[in-house]
Amino acid sequence: MNQHPAMWGHPMTPHQAFNAHTAFPLATPNPMRNQHASSPVSHTQQPLVTGTSVLGLKYKDGVMLAADNLASYGSLARFRDIQRLHPLGNHTCLAVSGDMSDYQYLKKELDGLLREEEALSLSDSHPALHPSQIYAFLANLFYARRSKVNPIWNAILVGGWDATKEESFLGYVDLLGTTYSSPTLATGFGSHIAQPLLREAFEKKAGIDGKGELLTAEEAEALLNECMKVLFYRDARSLNKYQIATVTKEGVQISESKSAETQWGFAEALRGYGAQQQ
Amino acid sequence: MFLTRSEYDRGVNTFSPEGRLFQVEYAMEAIKLGSTTVGITTPEGTVLAVEKRVPSPLLESSSIEKIMEIDAHIGCAMSGLTADARTMVDHARVTSQMHAFTYDESIGVESCTQAVCDLALRFGESVEDDDALMSRPFGVALLIAGIDEKGPQLYHTDPSGTFVRYDAKAIGSGSDAAQQSLQDAFHKQMTLVEAHTLALKVLKQVMEEKLDENNVQLAQVTREHGFEILGETELKQVIEGIPA
Amino acid sequence: MAMHAERSAALHELTSAPIQHAFNPYEDNGGTILAIAGKDFSVIAGDTRQSQGYSIQTRYARKVWQLTDRAVLATNGFAADGNNFVKKVKQRLEWYEHAHHKQMPLKSIARMIQTILYGKRFFPYYVYNILGGIEEDGTGAVYSYDPVGTYERESCRAAGAAQSILQPFLDNQIYFKNQTPEPGAEPFIPGNLPLSTVLALVVDSFTSATERHIEVGDGLEVYVVMKKGRPTDDLVGEGKLAPGMAVEELDALGEGDGEKTFLVTRSLKRD
Repeated sequence: MNQHPAMWGHPMTPHQAFNAHTAFPLATPNPMRNQHASSPVSHTQQPLVTGTSVLGLKYKDGVMLAADNLASYGSLARFRDIQRLHPLGNHTCLAVSGDMSDYQYLKKELDGLLREEEALSLSDSHPALHPSQIYAFLANLFYARRSKVNPIWNAILVGGWDATKEESFLGYVDLLGTTYSSPTLATGFGSHIAQPLLREAFEKKAGIDGKGELLTAEEAEALLNECMKVLFYRDARSLNKYQIATVTKEGVQISESKSAETQWGFAEALRGYGAQQQ
Repeated sequence: MFLTRSEYDRGVNTFSPEGRLFQVEYAMEAIKLGSTTVGITTPEGTVLAVEKRVPSPLLESSSIEKIMEIDAHIGCAMSGLTADARTMVDHARVTSQMHAFTYDESIGVESCTQAVCDLALRFGESVEDDDALMSRPFGVALLIAGIDEKGPQLYHTDPSGTFVRYDAKAIGSGSDAAQQSLQDAFHKQMTLVEAHTLALKVLKQVMEEKLDENNVQLAQVTREHGFEILGETELKQVIEGIPA
Repeated sequence: MAMHAERSAALHELTSAPIQHAFNPYEDNGGTILAIAGKDFSVIAGDTRQSQGYSIQTRYARKVWQLTDRAVLATNGFAADGNNFVKKVKQRLEWYEHAHHKQMPLKSIARMIQTILYGKRFFPYYVYNILGGIEEDGTGAVYSYDPVGTYERESCRAAGAAQSILQPFLDNQIYFKNQTPEPGAEPFIPGNLPLSTVLALVVDSFTSATERHIEVGDGLEVYVVMKKGRPTDDLVGEGKLAPGMAVEELDALGEGDGEKTFLVTRSLKRD
């Protein structure tokens, strides 16, 4: 089965004449829907309301993350003002793709954890959690849940600034508990569409070993804008309304929602797209 | 003996105001009623010897078992309530075999001793859904002899769960006199044969009956043959060698 | 009319059938590992690419781990299982050290790994392990495993994406399979090759696998464990390694009994 986030909610057989799932869950009555009454435990068997890919990029002063504001219900662009960037403490930020209810659960869980940590720091000299520690927590949580065959159906990026080591942090973790880090990261569709663009721009300046000078804040933001635009052109589950989070030693800053300048004029000339008849 | 004896000696998990656990101390007293047991370490191996009290000529002396094998390279001798020792030896055997199964090597003598001692303090009033507890401390002390990469070793365990390593150690009713004799006669370069003789000589000194092959038991742990209880012929030979 | 009914029945079947969308808790993250035992050393290597399907997730993910002063473990298969498996092994090694006051010997690690793997026989770690290092008798050793714990000591083993490319090569070069000695010459004895030869075979293995397998590449990490007292001059020093390779000696993890572990690194093609 294809677990790739871009394929989430899609069927196993690609050769069906009528693909009910392109419109899932509207076209198909969900047999899981009425199970709550009869079955004692319910697991997330498939994502329902989903966010599409998110991007992450290390740059000179820290890390930038990008995510659009859409939460889709199958092919329906259901919620168009959802923030998928979530700050945790002063120096960590999540960018979340995948199931939005699992994301809300994660937010609740992590905010609770951080509140406990903050309470401890009120009476003692209790250091704040580093991004790598929050990442380790998430990796353990995701792996534990996949090992119970009850996955948290997300692929998330953790961006942060480690105040002790004075270096940026960027890591990926998904529903299988798979983890990795890299100077540029993308989930889902973005791993196909945006990651090559991010890598190319990153390596052009920093070199393939990443030891050279990194992109400036302006260059990084321009790069993410460009990637979000390309994704909007090609990813049918995306929205041209997105936010960028910046994590530096100064803290986490999440931008207002913005849009990329797009050109659709060429489409008018395309047969089957514009107004002209065959 | 205990001048401050009071209500504090009832509960197994109540300290007296002086900071003592009387039930544990009483358990140690039970050992002093047991038959004398001796262990001696030499560079070649470790020797264990026990007195078997045979109160009646009708008793089959070979049915008294006070030296037991734990693993091929570890054995132990006991003094006190020998029935309690069965629980401990059982645990030691299982631990040793689990170790061999999991790590493809024989367990260390100290680790085995530690495993036995981990049991010792599991007494007390059982809490709900805590079923593995015992009602009282073990009333037995062990001399655990074994050999591993650190060489031949001898450990003494008591009801408090404490274990200490010795070159030579005596426990049981005649232990005070026996320990003194050991202290006088022991030296580090002793041969195994000398240790056999010394062990029985020390037992002979503290025994009420005349020592013979029916009322003592002798065992050894060597690098070559591991743990073995000496047979009747070998035992007789050693007895003959004891200076009069 | 009949045709319409037929068609709508078929359509109904398509749309009302329960969606078969069982969660698959496994994934293959590619990459390849390999280990070769020498007389008094052992070499354990792996590439650093982690992939999912045609996508490279990262160009640097560790697959080879120093466990003790005389043991190195390489893991391959499902990366999440691999990382968590290594975490568990390291935890057990620490517990053992507390309980027994010594580092776990290689053969004991080998057995322990089998028990951990078999302990999850009915929800296995999807990981192919290769353990390399120095035995208590000073010989170089390689142990290889399947995901449920079957294990065996060998002179060499390759596993992972490019196993089918590398193992026949190693069979030929290490076990001298399909080679015949010159008439009158000494018979071949496996497990006696010098370190420099072994290292060259490892590098050739990985550069070749990189050429022919899309899941192999980016970087190479080679751990060399040497018996205590063994001279290191065939590895360390000017001009001992081919150009583009670097070597560093790793710190002892325990008391430092004298065994030495080196990490040799090299880049691989990234395409």
